[in-house]
Amino acid sequence: MIYLVAAYASAVLILGGYLAWSLRQLSELSRGADRK
Amino acid sequence: MTRYTRLTAAAVLLILVAAALIFVYAPEDYLQKEPQRIFYLHVSAAIAAFACFAVVLVASVVYLRTDSASADRLARAAALVGVVLTTVTLVMGMLYAKAIWGMFWTWDARLTSTLVLWIIYAGYLMLRRLAEPGRQAARFAAVVGIFGFIDVPIVYFSVTWWRTQHPGPVIVNDALPPAMLLTFLVTMACTLFLAAVMVAIRYRIETLMDEAPSAAGVSLPSIAQHEPEPAR
Repeated sequence: MIYLVAAYASAVLILGGYLAWSLRQLSELSRGADRK
Repeated sequence: MTRYTRLTAAAVLLILVAAALIFVYAPEDYLQKEPQRIFYLHVSAAIAAFACFAVVLVASVVYLRTDSASADRLARAAALVGVVLTTVTLVMGMLYAKAIWGMFWTWDARLTSTLVLWIIYAGYLMLRRLAEPGRQAARFAAVVGIFGFIDVPIVYFSVTWWRTQHPGPVIVNDALPPAMLLTFLVTMACTLFLAAVMVAIRYRIETLMDEAPSAAGVSLPSIAQHEPEPAR
């Protein structure tokens, strides 16, 4: 059971972390582009 | 709420549906018990990574033929998402292996070729970051993107070409009961959608970086700064 939880927790961490980072980067870049 | 936030919300919602199937609907495996549920996302992430690397292959061929900045951007975007998904595959696979085989890692053909796949595309991304920006770097990266794909069929067929600790294909061999097969197919479709959304977001980021690299605070190797996109 511990490996099942660890496997899905790590998947959520990797995919969720990547998505959050991407969306933040996108919103910063979009704001910069709008200001120009 | 932007288009990309809405797409991300839809992808997360679909992944939650897949999670409900994995943890509630799918029956427990008689032999492997609970850890078998790792299989659904582990294999789906691997297939989505293969799809991303196929996009890198096609975009790289298109770039070499047409010098299209969009094709180069798409290759960069798909390579990064492919590496993220391969990381998920490897990490989940290691935990699955520990639960079933009692060890995190063994140098069998499937595991080793998957690690090599990760190294090839991580190298591709490093090349894009470190190489002097310009057409030469983009063309060299495209060649790496094309030849790197050779490892994908090696990963896929490794379990039939060599004797491995990793189990052989269960989907094509009809080895899954209907409820497990349905859970797997839904998870795979949701993961592919998530991968497509991730590539779309990264493609938009690459476009914005190419247009205004100073806005990102980083300098990515970009061919768009050096040459205009050819007229189509």
